[in-house]
Amino acid sequence: MTTSGLLLYARSRTLPRTVAALAATAALAVWAAHGLDAYLDPSRRVPVVALAPLAASALIGASLYSASDELDRTAVRPWWRRRLVHLLALTALAAALLPWAVLGHTSSFGPPAMIRNTLGCVGLTAASAVLLGARLSWLPVFAYVSAVYVAAAGVDGGSVPAWAWLMQPAGERGAWLVALVAFAAGTVLYLLRGARAEGTRD
Amino acid sequence: MPTIRVTGLHVRHRKTVALDSLDVDFGPGVHGLLGPNGAGKTSLIRVLATVAEPAGGRVEILGEDTGDHRRLGDVRRRLGYLPQDFGYYPGFTVREFVAYVAWLKEMPAAATPSAVERAVARVGLADRIDAKVRTLSGGMVRRVGIAQAIVNAPQVLLFDEPTAGLDPEQRVEFRELLRELGTSATVIVSTHLVEDVAAACTEVTLVDEGRVAYRGTPQSLAALGETAVGVSGDNPIERGYTAALRAHRAHGSAAQAVRTLEGTAR
Repeated sequence: MTTSGLLLYARSRTLPRTVAALAATAALAVWAAHGLDAYLDPSRRVPVVALAPLAASALIGASLYSASDELDRTAVRPWWRRRLVHLLALTALAAALLPWAVLGHTSSFGPPAMIRNTLGCVGLTAASAVLLGARLSWLPVFAYVSAVYVAAAGVDGGSVPAWAWLMQPAGERGAWLVALVAFAAGTVLYLLRGARAEGTRD
Repeated sequence: MPTIRVTGLHVRHRKTVALDSLDVDFGPGVHGLLGPNGAGKTSLIRVLATVAEPAGGRVEILGEDTGDHRRLGDVRRRLGYLPQDFGYYPGFTVREFVAYVAWLKEMPAAATPSAVERAVARVGLADRIDAKVRTLSGGMVRRVGIAQAIVNAPQVLLFDEPTAGLDPEQRVEFRELLRELGTSATVIVSTHLVEDVAAACTEVTLVDEGRVAYRGTPQSLAALGETAVGVSGDNPIERGYTAALRAHRAHGSAAQAVRTLEGTAR
């Protein structure tokens, strides 16, 4: 891979803009979290811990779009390595930036919960990009997170950590397991298939 | 020996059969791929470009079986492809877009800048090489597509509707480029325009309902048109096209259709 080739690849996927948008999302999350009285009640951080990863994953999902997918498919080198680097680099960046919004309280809704939710949301978004296309990849995750956010309030039970994993405190192992499985499955699916082609075909 | 050999190719789009046990081969020269909408031309081009996987059959390009994924890189390195709708990155200049494709083809970095300039000059866009692709007219964008297809000096070139959007003068220039490319490469051009085939192709393959309906030279297709009775068309090659399609649909097999047409011509 040549440097200029990699730069062209980065620009083709609007990566500079995505990085800037991720930084802006993190800044917004810091600002939003600042207004919460989270030291008295850490669960007030839940909106930030759930919505910031959602926004970040939507940005990452959009960056998976290729305007010339048909030509990309004629590439000499298999795509999986580039896809892996692309997805992991942006996920790592989001997972490094977003926790700044919720420093402290590592056992409840602090940085570990933010990282868990980032991984889970990115995994779901990557899988959606494969199934629906990159530009619509945010939609199923948005619907899921919205539904969980509404439905999980005040609900208790054995299966809650599984379906409402992103509303759980950081110490909840079941929630971590679901988020990690979602991340691994979404990543592998995306590496193998790439984002679904968007456009007309004869 | 043919550069491309297709045997028993079967392509499906959900429940629709796009190509049905298609056998065809292509050698060096310019080959016109004609046929009505939905005949399977684009499906064939996409399989040859290795961007679509067939449901069955075998495709050999430059002696390599494209079903063998370990050899796919070698094939792609020597292949150029202009899809019907290639898409481009709005922020890219002509130079950057063609260089991006050169990078996909793993051309040596040192050779890329001159290859890009050469390809862009061949399509008559040298003076717009640093213009953003999004600022160009439809015809110019099409020429950028042609430039990216030839940047790696491919041995096999696949063009899907290359002249769509080109004005008459640009089409004449493109036909000239095709003839030039055909002297050293196997060029397959899918088109609706029989004038392009008549002017630039050494051989014509008519595809209909996923099968080869006719093969011959543009001259032999025109000869069919000269003798065909009761078929419409503005020139002999168009009438030959219609006659070949009718015969194929009536007899169901390319060989029978050709025999029938030859009988009619005699």
